[in-house]
Amino acid sequence: MLLTRTTRTAVVVAATAAMLGLAACGGGSAGEGGESGAQDMDPETCGPAGDLTVLTWRTDLVEDGTFDDYVATFKEAYPEIGDVDIQGITDYEGEVKTRMSTDDYGDVLAIPGSVAPDQLSQFFEPLGELSEMQTQYRWVEPESFEGLSYGIPVVGNVMGAVYNVEVFESAGVTDFATTPEEFLSDLEAVKAAHPDIAPLYTNYKDGWPLTAWQSYAGGVSGDPEYTNGMTTDEAPWSGGGDMEVIDGLLYDVVAQGLTEADPTTTNWEQSKQMLATGQIGVMMLGSWAIPQMQDAAEAAGETRDIIGYMPFPAQVDGTFHAVAGGDYNLAINVHSSNKCAARAWIDWFNHESGFSESQIGLSPLVDGPVPESLQAFIDQVELVEMAPAPEGQESLFSDIDTESGILTTSPDYRMKIVDDARSGARTKQQVFDDLNAAWSEAIQAVSGG
Amino acid sequence: MRRAAVAVVKYASLVVASVMMLLPVALIITGSFKTNQEFLSTGPFDAPENWLNLSNYATAFTRGGMLLGFANTAIILVAAITGTILIGAAAAYAIDRFTFAGRRVTLALFLLATLVPGVTTQVATFQVVKALGLYNSQAALIVLFMGTDIISIYIFVQFMRSIPRSLDEAAKIDGAGHLRIFLQVILPNLKPAIATVIIIKGIAIYNEFYIPFLYITNPDLRPISTSLFAFKGPFGAQWEVISAGVVITIIPILVLFLALQRYVYNGFTSGATK
Amino acid sequence: MALMTPARRAPGRAVDPSARQPGRRVTARRGRDRVVPYLFVLAPIVLLVTFTYVPVANMFFYSVTDWDGLDRVKNFVGLANYVDVFTEPDNLRVFVVSLYYLGASFVQMALALYFATILSFRVRLKNLWKGILFFPYLINGVAIGLIFLNFIRPGGGLDSALLAVGLESVIRQWTGDPEVINYTLAAVSVWRYMGLNFVMFLGAIASVPGEIYEAAELDGANRWHQFRHLILPAIKPIVGLSFILAISGSLSVFEVPYIMTNGGNGSETFVIRTIKMAFENNKVGLASAMAVVLLAIVLVVTWIQRRLVPEERVDLT
Repeated sequence: MLLTRTTRTAVVVAATAAMLGLAACGGGSAGEGGESGAQDMDPETCGPAGDLTVLTWRTDLVEDGTFDDYVATFKEAYPEIGDVDIQGITDYEGEVKTRMSTDDYGDVLAIPGSVAPDQLSQFFEPLGELSEMQTQYRWVEPESFEGLSYGIPVVGNVMGAVYNVEVFESAGVTDFATTPEEFLSDLEAVKAAHPDIAPLYTNYKDGWPLTAWQSYAGGVSGDPEYTNGMTTDEAPWSGGGDMEVIDGLLYDVVAQGLTEADPTTTNWEQSKQMLATGQIGVMMLGSWAIPQMQDAAEAAGETRDIIGYMPFPAQVDGTFHAVAGGDYNLAINVHSSNKCAARAWIDWFNHESGFSESQIGLSPLVDGPVPESLQAFIDQVELVEMAPAPEGQESLFSDIDTESGILTTSPDYRMKIVDDARSGARTKQQVFDDLNAAWSEAIQAVSGG
Repeated sequence: MRRAAVAVVKYASLVVASVMMLLPVALIITGSFKTNQEFLSTGPFDAPENWLNLSNYATAFTRGGMLLGFANTAIILVAAITGTILIGAAAAYAIDRFTFAGRRVTLALFLLATLVPGVTTQVATFQVVKALGLYNSQAALIVLFMGTDIISIYIFVQFMRSIPRSLDEAAKIDGAGHLRIFLQVILPNLKPAIATVIIIKGIAIYNEFYIPFLYITNPDLRPISTSLFAFKGPFGAQWEVISAGVVITIIPILVLFLALQRYVYNGFTSGATK
Repeated sequence: MALMTPARRAPGRAVDPSARQPGRRVTARRGRDRVVPYLFVLAPIVLLVTFTYVPVANMFFYSVTDWDGLDRVKNFVGLANYVDVFTEPDNLRVFVVSLYYLGASFVQMALALYFATILSFRVRLKNLWKGILFFPYLINGVAIGLIFLNFIRPGGGLDSALLAVGLESVIRQWTGDPEVINYTLAAVSVWRYMGLNFVMFLGAIASVPGEIYEAAELDGANRWHQFRHLILPAIKPIVGLSFILAISGSLSVFEVPYIMTNGGNGSETFVIRTIKMAFENNKVGLASAMAVVLLAIVLVVTWIQRRLVPEERVDLT
């Protein structure tokens, strides 16, 4: 009796609260031009003006003033623009994801990796027809749904690993490893030559650097359809498939003691300097990391070319493959009240800012140049661009991923692999068995429901 | 002889405990005066080269946004504590001085709520805050600090009973309305209880991490604890700056504690038992 | 319940004093008087319901759905989430982690009791010791996390101190070793909260009048007897209270492990996991079920505790 009464009151109050909330939101956006679609977003005609809030994951560029310069130049191009508030977010994935469960997540932001394609329209403003966007930009497919594009990458990455050239050469390693086994023995050689350093640094504590490992999927086999194939593969962690190779390598390097002694005390900012000064051999990170490592090298009094870039240690028929894809895609908050200015920022950022060159990345523009310092790497590998999911199945992968509880986009599951490899709580095979079981169960659940 | 041995054990244990309590903090303080190079190259027990090196403090304030953090904390503190006092005292006034239908239920609701640890319900509270349109606003924190604080209502109810009814009745005979009685008779007489609430509530809000962490992401709105938390990112390689941030955060509480020791102890012993 | 009595026992007070006065004004006044208490109690109740009862009710509701926190639809899934809470090894693991903190809270109470006893007798510099032991409790949780990250890092203060006193062999990877990490974090928790227990115990001991100790001393009671027969009974209610706080506290540990290890290397606690499930893994349903379980445990423990130790002090008498 008591319970029912309380519940009923609660429901009434909740309903009232929800109505109040809705009323408040409705009032706000209606006054400023209504919900999605109503605003003209062509910066040529809509007249970008007013204030803008931009969320970014590059706290380092906020910190060192780079973004201040961007804002100043942007305002020169669009004098009517008011305040541009750049919010740097350290734990970008986690925080923005939480924030997206409300309406308040800035005007311009990068789409977090864990947003499923069929959720895009719920959060972001469509930027144009996919087919049209493709004539101008690369890597727009992953953030598209039902023929509409929701985000444009700021820069393209290729997936390899940053390493300290001197450390490897002084250990007698001069050629890129072509198999995981060879890579492991190279690291052994590094360890033998430099007993006090971490041959490979996982950056475990910060978590997000471990998510980079997922981006090698497809690069191991050189198969652009690899991730799509995972939606029907009940045991991706077997038979020498990409996931097995990637996670197997992670397990092995940790189990064989080729990583930092205490992963719980790693430090991302410090790791840049440690790589530059030879206290770390290699870190598994996308090409976006190269300039940051080079800067750190320069700051530590080394030369910039002490930082090298190697492909993932796996070959198909004697050829390395490296996945090339967009870094974070910039998008517009569907609840933004200033979509015109937001669009102006995105276009300006891609065409005028010079960001992708400064980051030594591939240009997101179809006819954009390849930066010189990446050319050498690209000459040695075959680039793989992952194929978009077939129509109607855009969300299948992420549905299975979420359902399985593995969450390949989150660092947690690879942190667990590191934990197991260190403690021996599960053998490599047990890890794979558990992952396969969870994955196949999720495939059943998703296709069944 | 035995007495002496007992005394030795007693003082030795106190000294050991004090060292354990103070050492971690002391190392942060010395670290905050070191330069980056010094921090990396010298041992944790080495004294800083220059005890007057305040550059880390300057960095923490300017680039770390600690000043803004303090300002935000101050706004939240003042608003939430004022609210808590008014609300707590009003509820206590109604409960203690009136008989009304639903009084029992009201009381039961408050009693039951003390058993619900706030930390367990945040997943769902988040949805309520979001529906009210309060996410990412300081109002969310203020309202949550006010609305989830049952301890203060307790302290007020408790204390209200020691205020003689003859006081309000005298005021009533003079023609004062209930609002005036509440403002002019009850509130002034509640002063000691208000002081207790200010102290425990103030410290709790100042130190609260979970709620601002969950509800405020805009760096311009962050209170001090999440501002300090954000140090971990950009200053990850500069522990001397982090150390300075930690020291800056501790200083206000230390000053308050030294100035008001007796009240702080009393506040926590009475606050915790109710 | 004691709360009910004062209004009734107020001496010589009729239910409504104004009722004795004749005339029309009375009814007007009575009508107003009826509304008044509701006006005063309105704001507290609205806040209480909105931010405590609505969430609790919603939490029960979410816990039987598959809601991801965003979708407009919430499908009813029955008890599936609860089954997950108790069968999924990663979910069970957080209960194990909370045992470390529970164990630590007993150590903490023992230490607090020891120091409270010592300091309730004559000691030089009493206030200094008291202040030092209590102050950590007042420090910001984020600051504590950072202080200890600095203290236990390899080659940091702790390692150097152990080296200096010749205890090299004790040095471990304080958070890196999965066998050690939870002890380390639980020890930080003892460091942080011992002072509160200590001050509460001290207050309770001080409530025993000094003459009783003197009388006991005259009767030839030694310190142990004084502790056993005077101090212990005085602090029994507080110990009981500390017990509940220890259990609910050990299940709701969040700040220190979150800041220091982000729940990595097997240090994930109930609350960290709940947040990750709700906001990162989009499993609000599961997270709610976990929260309901946590709430249920706390309620049961409180109930048992109240049955065992009839509480004089927790009540409002």
